[in-house]
Amino acid sequence: MSRNDGKVRMSLQTLHVLEAFLENPTEQLSGADIHQRCGIASGTLYPILLRLESAGWFVSRWESIDPSAAGRPRRRLYRLTSTGLRRASEVFASFNRGVVT
Amino acid sequence: MSERELNPREHAAGASLAPSTWIAALPEWLIRHAARRAPPDLSERLEEEWRADLADRKSIFARLRFAFGCCWAAGVIVWEHRPESVPVTNAALRPKASVGYMRDDSRILARRSLTFFLVAGLHVLLFYVLMTGLAFKIIKVMPTAFQVRLLQPPRERTVPPSPPPQASMPKLYVPIPDFPAIDVPVEKGEIIPEPPATLPSPPEAPPVQAHHEVLRTAGGPGIGFPNTDDYYPSISKRLEEQGLATVHVCVGVNGRLTSDPTIAQSSGNRRLDEGALMLAKAGSGHYRATMEDGRPIDSCYSFRVRFALRTGG
Repeated sequence: MSRNDGKVRMSLQTLHVLEAFLENPTEQLSGADIHQRCGIASGTLYPILLRLESAGWFVSRWESIDPSAAGRPRRRLYRLTSTGLRRASEVFASFNRGVVT
Repeated sequence: MSERELNPREHAAGASLAPSTWIAALPEWLIRHAARRAPPDLSERLEEEWRADLADRKSIFARLRFAFGCCWAAGVIVWEHRPESVPVTNAALRPKASVGYMRDDSRILARRSLTFFLVAGLHVLLFYVLMTGLAFKIIKVMPTAFQVRLLQPPRERTVPPSPPPQASMPKLYVPIPDFPAIDVPVEKGEIIPEPPATLPSPPEAPPVQAHHEVLRTAGGPGIGFPNTDDYYPSISKRLEEQGLATVHVCVGVNGRLTSDPTIAQSSGNRRLDEGALMLAKAGSGHYRATMEDGRPIDSCYSFRVRFALRTGG
């Protein structure tokens, strides 16, 4: 699955997505959840999610509900992997390097 | 979860969100279309995922915006998941087991080829316009009679009786009668009848009209009349066009034109006729008025203008 061997182009929108996951690294978020938190449009969001998943930073699974009973389609939920958590932390740490608060 | 399982509920939810118009169905159609563009291994997953996220949007504008975003996302995903490298073996290098790699970007090549052919087509079109359209315009501007006029016989042959050629050209044919004073010893208003019964005998003198003789001196170009050569069209000189045009003018007692001159008999060439008319107009004020009984009168007459090339040195 790691098509890009862990190399991810760090755009501002990608950082926003990672930031949303780093607030609670164990939380599983759907595309709609990330859109509500970051305000990233769908045309940008889903390629980022697939890119991070291909790089091994995310894993995804289908929501475990019965669509007929729930009355809505099941969502695709994303979660940070341990690799993704470590790499995302490194990325944000590199941004804060040299910054004195 | 297949699409068929989801559709009925989605349609039911969609019907509660928006009126059952094609606009309400457009977001789902766009998502379906976008998902089909995605790579085959992601197509079904993306369609279901996007449908689920679409259900969270309530307003039609948010749904449409989300659906168009999915179309854009499908294009990006297709681009990022294009085949990267295809191993290509070269038969000539097989002993060395050499393997090369080429990028399988036939779509890019197709796009580049399309751009190339488009640019090349524009250049061809521009070249065609320059070679045909502008050439036609230039031909229209240039005199079209260059080749034809030279092959035609001289214009003098088409003109009916032309005056004998004269040594100095160009020259105006100006009839200047010089009547001596005539003193006719006859009674006014009378006609002298011939004797009826006399034998025919040679008359001693020409019969003289008994009526009152009106002495009329025809007018014409006078002193200071412009030179014909100044109004010989230059293009006619280059084309060796020659001819004789008869101009009709009406002149007042002061030697000025009372109306615009006209061509009484064409030289057969439009440019020469125009030159003759310009000459006639320029000569206004330099005409001799017609004299009648010694008094100038308003009159109309014609004179001829010859445009001829000088021969020799």
